[in-house]
Amino acid sequence: MNRPTIAVWLGSAPPARSIRWLDGVLGTAAKLGAAIAIAAGDQSWLELANDRAVRAGLAGLAGVATDLRLDYLGWAQVAAAAVRALGATTVLVDEASRPERAAEVAAIAELLDAAQITRIVALTADGGPGVTVFRASRIAGAERQALLVRAPVVIGVRIAGPALEDYPTPLPPAGMRRLDLPALGLDPVVLAHRALPPRTGAAPRGTIERVADQLAVHLAPRGRP
Amino acid sequence: MAAVLVHIDLDGGEPHPSSLAALAAGRLVASSWGAALYAALIVHDGREQGSADSTAQVMHTQLPAVALTRARLARAGADKVIVAMSDVPVVPLWSALGAAWQAVLDHLRPRLVLFGADAPAAAELGPRTGARIGARLLLRARPITGNIVELRDRDGGYARAQDGGAAVALVGSAPRLPAVLPTRGHDPIELVMIAVPGGGDPRIQLVGSGPAETVHTCGTVIAIGDDVATDPAVLADARRLAAGLGGVVVGGAGAEALARNAAIAPELCVQIGAVALDLAGASCVIRLGGPKRAETVPGSALGALPSPTSVDGAIAGAPGAALAELVDRLELP
Repeated sequence: MNRPTIAVWLGSAPPARSIRWLDGVLGTAAKLGAAIAIAAGDQSWLELANDRAVRAGLAGLAGVATDLRLDYLGWAQVAAAAVRALGATTVLVDEASRPERAAEVAAIAELLDAAQITRIVALTADGGPGVTVFRASRIAGAERQALLVRAPVVIGVRIAGPALEDYPTPLPPAGMRRLDLPALGLDPVVLAHRALPPRTGAAPRGTIERVADQLAVHLAPRGRP
Repeated sequence: MAAVLVHIDLDGGEPHPSSLAALAAGRLVASSWGAALYAALIVHDGREQGSADSTAQVMHTQLPAVALTRARLARAGADKVIVAMSDVPVVPLWSALGAAWQAVLDHLRPRLVLFGADAPAAAELGPRTGARIGARLLLRARPITGNIVELRDRDGGYARAQDGGAAVALVGSAPRLPAVLPTRGHDPIELVMIAVPGGGDPRIQLVGSGPAETVHTCGTVIAIGDDVATDPAVLADARRLAAGLGGVVVGGAGAEALARNAAIAPELCVQIGAVALDLAGASCVIRLGGPKRAETVPGSALGALPSPTSVDGAIAGAPGAALAELVDRLELP
């Protein structure tokens, strides 16, 4: 495999609702140059991620099998270590598949001492595949910003793939490159200091009171204080 | 004394409403914790602030344009105001604001940093701030009042007075505080000006901007299903909910039209009835009515939300009644 210049961080768990946005970031990376996907988590998620990466035309997946449950900084340490091991200089992050992923863009950029840019809805290489300058469109409120982006950079992407009714069962992960935490220079015990505390709120809210409570944090501020 | 720091985005020279909500939350927390509340903003000053390798300097000059903002922030609860003057034009990107914001963090070493969740720079500055100071990150947090005020986010994360370590919170809402009248003839609160040299990150270059398409700007979507789209009561309540949440109504007469397979990734979607839209990119989905058991909506794509567990909240049964009750509960005008 050629040394990839682009890594795609797919996160530590499958998409919350759809693989459409996962396919979108993978398809975008495939058009930019030599790219490899990175994911962490349980085996079934790694197999799905590898399958979608291969179908999108990427070299495959570098998978970190672990049962840790970490916060944004914990997963960013895993992603950054994998990016360094693979030698990539540009990292795309699928922001839309899970809400917690957006924060990982900044954390990975911080650990790699890279530039960051979030909420990108269109991304092309400026000058063709293999280059490390990109043209990006970013959504900022009601505005669409046009940006020139140079590596090293971490890019949060919200680009959807085609709508799918269903997707085929993942193929056996023959091409998956397996990475483990010690080989990446990460001690699982130390990493576990960034573990998320157990949460009881995973079940969907099922009463008016609890739904109103959920919506209350989205209420638009009214008037001046 | 511990510091609680609130980032203030400016919107046409005025503090952004979401930043003021964060400041209100900060006031409650700081008063409860015995901390000082700092409001910090970054302004563009075209004068050279020094070479890139020099350090930030506390200045004794004042910008006239800051005076009004300072008084405004004082009335909104701030104990002190920090103004970071940057030679880079202010755009809501870490590449433009990062150096100036870092100078503020270095100056204060805050224990808690707050951003308005809907403020323009929050998405870029909030998580990066958390990563830089090794803090816990709370998304869509709000103050919960009790003996000691704590911040709690929608996923159950919290920041409390007795916690060790720093926290960064993107504040979703806060109760309105009574306005404090300015004292005539006196400076309302202390103001610290910091000149920050160094310019922006050349790796990110803004080359233009224009209006964004509807599919990208709908941060909150109230989606009405075909089964209830002709019910005037549902439409009226949906519009009240959209107004309260700062969102758009999709589906139904006179509402925004989106293609069935349009790729949208809003922060929040409230689905009323059997909606045939792809809502899979939404960060948070609330469903009122619609299927009671795991079943798909015919003709929809993956946004059909086939399982009750794929939503963050769901009220089964008649969607109109649930919507009306919800609007009343939220005390929307």
